[in-house]
Amino acid sequence: MKARNAPTTVLDDDLLRLRLMLLVFLLGIALLGAFLWRIQVANTGQYEVDLAKQSIRRVRLPGVRGCLYDRQGNVLAENRPAHGVALYLEELRQPGPLKRTVDHVESVVSNLSAIVQLSPEIDREAIRTHIRRRLPLPLVVWRELPEAALARLVESGLSVPGVDIYTQPVRVYPLGALACHAIGYVGRAEPAKVENEEESYHYYLPEMAGRAGVEKSMDDLLRGEAGGRLLRVDVSGYRRNDIGMRTPRRGHDLMLSLDAKIQQTAESILSDTAGSIVVIDPNNGDVIALASSPGYDLNQFIPGISSENWKTLNDDPNTPLLHRAIAGTYPPGSTFKMITALAGLVNGKARPEDVHHCPGYFRLGNVTFRCWLRSGHGPVNLEQAIEGSCNVYCFHVGLDSGIDAIANMARAFGMGDRTGIALDGEARGLVPDAAWKRRVYEDGWRDGDTCNVSIGQGALLATPLQMAVMTAALANGGIVYQPRLILGVRPEAGETFRTLDPVVVNRMLWDRKHLNIVRLGMKDVVMSPTGTGRTARIPGVVMAGKTGTAEFGRKDEKRRHAWMVAFAPFDAPRYAVAMLIDEGVSGGETAAPRMKLLMQALFPESQPAAVGGGAG
Amino acid sequence: MKHGEEKGSMLARLDWIFLFAVLALMGIGILFIYSASYRGDNEWMTELTRKQAVWAVAGLVAFALAVMTDYRQLADNAWWLFIVCLVLLVLVLFMGVKIYGSTRWLNLFGIQVQPSEFAKIGTLLVLAHYLSPPSRDMASAKTFFAVFGLMAIPFVLVLQQPDLGTALMLLPVTLALLFVGGVPLRYLVILGVIGLLLSPLGWYVLDDYQKERILVFLDPGRDPLGAGWNKIQSEIAVGSGGLGGKGYLMGTQNILGFLPRTVAPTDFIFSVIAEESGFAGAALVLGLYAVILGCGIRAAIRARDRLGRLLAAGITTSLFCHMFVNIAMTVGLAPITGLPLPLISYGGSFMISTMVGLGLVQSVYVRRIDR
Repeated sequence: MKARNAPTTVLDDDLLRLRLMLLVFLLGIALLGAFLWRIQVANTGQYEVDLAKQSIRRVRLPGVRGCLYDRQGNVLAENRPAHGVALYLEELRQPGPLKRTVDHVESVVSNLSAIVQLSPEIDREAIRTHIRRRLPLPLVVWRELPEAALARLVESGLSVPGVDIYTQPVRVYPLGALACHAIGYVGRAEPAKVENEEESYHYYLPEMAGRAGVEKSMDDLLRGEAGGRLLRVDVSGYRRNDIGMRTPRRGHDLMLSLDAKIQQTAESILSDTAGSIVVIDPNNGDVIALASSPGYDLNQFIPGISSENWKTLNDDPNTPLLHRAIAGTYPPGSTFKMITALAGLVNGKARPEDVHHCPGYFRLGNVTFRCWLRSGHGPVNLEQAIEGSCNVYCFHVGLDSGIDAIANMARAFGMGDRTGIALDGEARGLVPDAAWKRRVYEDGWRDGDTCNVSIGQGALLATPLQMAVMTAALANGGIVYQPRLILGVRPEAGETFRTLDPVVVNRMLWDRKHLNIVRLGMKDVVMSPTGTGRTARIPGVVMAGKTGTAEFGRKDEKRRHAWMVAFAPFDAPRYAVAMLIDEGVSGGETAAPRMKLLMQALFPESQPAAVGGGAG
Repeated sequence: MKHGEEKGSMLARLDWIFLFAVLALMGIGILFIYSASYRGDNEWMTELTRKQAVWAVAGLVAFALAVMTDYRQLADNAWWLFIVCLVLLVLVLFMGVKIYGSTRWLNLFGIQVQPSEFAKIGTLLVLAHYLSPPSRDMASAKTFFAVFGLMAIPFVLVLQQPDLGTALMLLPVTLALLFVGGVPLRYLVILGVIGLLLSPLGWYVLDDYQKERILVFLDPGRDPLGAGWNKIQSEIAVGSGGLGGKGYLMGTQNILGFLPRTVAPTDFIFSVIAEESGFAGAALVLGLYAVILGCGIRAAIRARDRLGRLLAAGITTSLFCHMFVNIAMTVGLAPITGLPLPLISYGGSFMISTMVGLGLVQSVYVRRIDR
């Protein structure tokens, strides 16, 4: 036994070797400790970043869109909750291959479909796409369920795990087609294009962006500020839990200057024809009505317009999508004659007492220009010329003043350029002059061109809004306001609206005498028994106006735009109106009676007692 | 008595600090196996935790039996034990259970055992026994080659399973025995140089998956979703643990499944510990291992005879190598190997073989001479 196993001694060489061994072990442990310190303490941040990168997902939450109101507080655009159904895939996942989860989700969808008695809005491919692209987010099976279907679902107890009611805000326009061009509509936004955000998101929720009207031009304010949600996902990409949230900021509410009731009247006046009516408050530029006919129901754009509807709107020969009030350009015809008169007066080329004889035509070289009144107006002064809309008088004044004086006056009223109303797609119109003709036609300006412009014809083009701005400036004594469509802004519901100040674009430095003579002429147009716009008259209100009939298209077609501009009451104007009927007989015949209807709505107190009300 | 007195009862002579460290590591193991297998559905105990607790108790029984067994009597039967181990290794190759592409387990009376774990102890025992007689000439080439020849048999058999990690563990243990046994240093130096020179040839011995692990170690971006996945995820788990950890049961790498469920309770248990308890917890584990290693070397120093000294030193070396390779792997300091963490990783055979080995260290220690 003893020979097989040697006893030890403490002085062995062994001992040194054993201690050396322990030293190696302890050094090994120290090395591990140092390395752990390096990655767990010194460089831990880097690993936290890696961890977040693979397990944390940012979801962009769009802000709730602000609402639109008219000046009386009527709702023009708001959001209503849409209750749909969504599946939470992390609760439906099946172990094993992906196909099993897809199968299971599909069977849950078909069970739900049986309960709500509606066919699902998604198919197997949509489920697969969702799993591939948006796994941690709820899978929406129905965006919105009818009330009965929702009731059936709730009655069934919603006992299936992973299924829940999913509520989203949906844009709604309670007044349908009213002021459709001004309000505009929203459409699905391309999330990446929403804005240049510093932070990038992994997922975007459906979001609406303005596509037309105020919805588009004021999108920045209406949209609010996006928030975000932080999700933790597991290794397969399923949502594990929420770990953080930044609440999105609600968009601003806007109060428009429109008055829904007057807008409604204006639109009903145009209901049988294509045309436009613009009503402006001459004291501040407020746009009280901005009507363009025909229109369309805004709600057909929510959540997205069907392709048939879109095609119908686009192919309609009456161009309902065209916002005639701001984007339709028309020769203003005789409604321009105040500008011709003022150009002459201001430049001293015409005096109110100047009398020209109108034989019913005007000869310029070997060309004959006709007055609309073939029999002629006879001798007329300036006031009478406006009242009777005498072309010959205007030819004289126009030729005496020259095109530059007329063009400058027109531009001073804001013609030939955008008014700056808070809408996209505004047209500039056109104020032609010598430079313009040279550039476009490479031809010289002739006196005939001046004659045409003097009576609002030729190449001259204006939008109904521009004509309303002009009328407002004549009404208020010469202040050109930028049309104010946005009256107020409020960041939070419940606060009061912060009013935006009116913007003055131009102040005319006119001699009162000159302005008065033009205004008196305009008053006669409506108030005199011989005025061209006399059918617009309503009892109890003194108003002023001007009719216009502008020819367009081929000469032999004899197609005419019918215009009328007006302001009232004459002494302290509250409304300035421009009305355009795309095709009519004449301003006096087609527009003036409609102006009367509008004025009755604008001045309800002037109405005679209702039928039967004044008996005795 | 000729070699001094053994004073007091066996219980009194036991190294209680050593035992305390062992129990602490076993406790930590059970705690974090629970965390690694926890699925959050309020189960108070997971299947793996329950099993590991049973293995821990079995391990303690094996430990106690090993302490009570006189290592000298055991060494007398070393050859027989060695042969039994070799027979089991051969049996594995013919009737073993194949799991994850290698045949390591043998079904014995309804329990799956891993004969390579016990072969480590058998080999250690037979080598220590062979080197312990005073007549053994440590400076002779015959001794040197005989030792490597003995070691080569289980080495080759384990390599056939294939289980490179476990097979390689036989090398440092053998070297430690030669070193402590007093082989001239020049032998070991020459051996080391030859080994280094031949190591490139080892490349041709490796399986493709093993080559891949080494390549991934050198370049983790090589295959981040495949072979590199565990390494990357383990490092993220450890690194994001920070100083104090994320809290028990709160390690997201583990909860979210980035650290695969299959390896979290076994080879990568240290990642779970480091993630949830941070550097503080990781350092505590390292400290406990340091205590065991220190106590193991103390047992070797105070062993009453050469056999005891060799056994204690060899077993301590084996523990150190397992611990070092496993932790180095989880922190990205070494390539991925299938080596578990002693006393902590989930696994029955490894727990019992470790506890038998540690019991033998104490068997040596309680029979020390108090000088």
